[in-house]
Amino acid sequence: MLAQILAVTIFLVMFIMIITEKIERHYVTLGCGLATLILVFGLAMKDLHAIWETLNIAPMFTLGFWYEAGTASESTSGINWATIIFIAGMMIMVEGMAKAGFFRWLCMAIAKMVKFQTVPIFLTFMIMSAVLAMFIDSITVILFLAAVTVELAQLLKFNPIPMILAEIFCANLGGSATMCGDPPNIIIGTSLGYSFSDFIMNTGVIAGISLIVVVLYFYIVFRKQLVAGVASEELDTTKCANKIENKKGFIISCIIFGVAIVLLVTHAQTGLTVATIGLFISIVTLIAAGKSAFELLKKVDYKTILFFVGLFVVVGGLEQTGTLEIIAAFIGKISGGNMYLMLAIIIWISGIASAFIDNIPFAATMIPVIKSLAATQGIDLSVLAWALAMGTDVGGSATPIGASANVVGTSVAAKEGYPIGWGKYCKYMVPATIIVMVISMLIVWMRYL
Amino acid sequence: MEKKQVIISIGREFASAGHEIAEILAKKFELPLYDYHIMREVAARKNVKVENIEPYDELPNRVLSRTVKGHSSSPHVNIAQMQFDFLRKKADEGESFVVVGRCAEEVLKGNKGLITIFILGDMDKKVVRVMKYHDMTEKKAIKFIESQSKKRKAYHNYFCDTKWGDSRNYEICINSSKLGIDATVDLLERYIKQRIEEM
Repeated sequence: MLAQILAVTIFLVMFIMIITEKIERHYVTLGCGLATLILVFGLAMKDLHAIWETLNIAPMFTLGFWYEAGTASESTSGINWATIIFIAGMMIMVEGMAKAGFFRWLCMAIAKMVKFQTVPIFLTFMIMSAVLAMFIDSITVILFLAAVTVELAQLLKFNPIPMILAEIFCANLGGSATMCGDPPNIIIGTSLGYSFSDFIMNTGVIAGISLIVVVLYFYIVFRKQLVAGVASEELDTTKCANKIENKKGFIISCIIFGVAIVLLVTHAQTGLTVATIGLFISIVTLIAAGKSAFELLKKVDYKTILFFVGLFVVVGGLEQTGTLEIIAAFIGKISGGNMYLMLAIIIWISGIASAFIDNIPFAATMIPVIKSLAATQGIDLSVLAWALAMGTDVGGSATPIGASANVVGTSVAAKEGYPIGWGKYCKYMVPATIIVMVISMLIVWMRYL
Repeated sequence: MEKKQVIISIGREFASAGHEIAEILAKKFELPLYDYHIMREVAARKNVKVENIEPYDELPNRVLSRTVKGHSSSPHVNIAQMQFDFLRKKADEGESFVVVGRCAEEVLKGNKGLITIFILGDMDKKVVRVMKYHDMTEKKAIKFIESQSKKRKAYHNYFCDTKWGDSRNYEICINSSKLGIDATVDLLERYIKQRIEEM
């Protein structure tokens, strides 16, 4: 009981401190992780085995961590090293691509292809945002897309805010389609042993259908604001320079990106785990970078990696003390065994929570909960996993603070003189979020129950 | 002889005549005055309408916000940072100017030409001033002063490590109600001249 109280208290303190932002979030999770190890496992439980299990280092030295023959799953308890290695690897690859000018080139090439017309730019950028976010972190996608959008807005003299909002939404939606698109999906996939194709065939289908609907939705609500203030014949597109300085680096980064996609798509067939893919991609990127390798390594967001390490320990505390089983039992009780209600609860609670709090700790916390629910209520775990993934990934779009892409997108816009307040943001994004949440819920109900 | 860079930063309580004093000092020392007009310059540099960013001028961040990799979701924070960057750029370019508010005493800390002043006033005098300029009743004027001061304090304290109006953050804190605007300006002018001489 004391261990549970301590674990919950540490978890709540961590959440509140993350929200208040007084201390950088990686210090918060690492500090709370240390408190979990000492107070919960050490003092209250006096269980060295729980510490060892939460640190989760031993599995890294087994073949199964790097190569899975058949379907194996990562232990849900403790630090999810597969997620951390994969995210670090992708960070290095993305830094290499950014350095080579890949993202800006792609954005400008598409704008040029549609002859710098606002509505086609709007439509293609939405789709590009979703597609890129399937493989690359949404922060990077939006960082470049929003910056190019503002640049094009100044050239064509249109308001970039509608376009940036639509791009943010589509990046979050695209992230929900794959195992590597959004951190909650990576955690869900590695923790529960689902493959890239499992995600594509389930959340990918939901995201694809939703994308068609939201593209239509955003076109309808924004069409009147997408009028360019400059006639096409007066355009001076020379300002939008799109020259690749380092062609060799550019081609190499494109090849590495292509290889990464192929490895991810086929990882269930090849048996390579996401940890192996992340490590391989990062090593190849660093070798290709040559002298710039150290520069790329310095740009890796170590804070996020440390944030994950601490977070997994704190959630491990909740799990080892059996606290998450209580939450699972509570959800099971209020749904009264009704599968429709249970799935609706998972989707909507995840969605609403993710609109206000970081969806990564939320998803990490919910994984043991749905595992327990599946065991006790006799429901297929994968169905709960897809519901959790869609809720956490899509719900975050509703508010300016719900997901990292929202924060970065609104920040880039504001820094260029286009501030987006809560009112303006929510007016367009809340309805879009509700639409996709309803679509997700209906598809999950119809397809799996 | 090389011309010395002088940056006069004037923090002020609402209705303390701080802005008016800053205007007079700017004229006397023949320096540009940066106040709410900064927004126009920032907007011009970004090639956007000033109406886009003006509503966020010198306002505290009271909305729920989040920061990711140094990017804040709060428009207030981003617009304030744009103003701070503007001031830093001007200072780095060696320009001399008078700046009203905008956390300048902290934003430009370390600049050799920086002179920091805080102007306060007695409540009764501030009320009279607000009643005159804003055509308000006494009761409304008091409420208005209190709410404006609260906003200014919250804005300053959100972005600065130091506290708004704390005498330890300024070279001079002066109550303009005691001597009146002209005498306060004279006193500050003498102080600034002496400071420039000793720079």
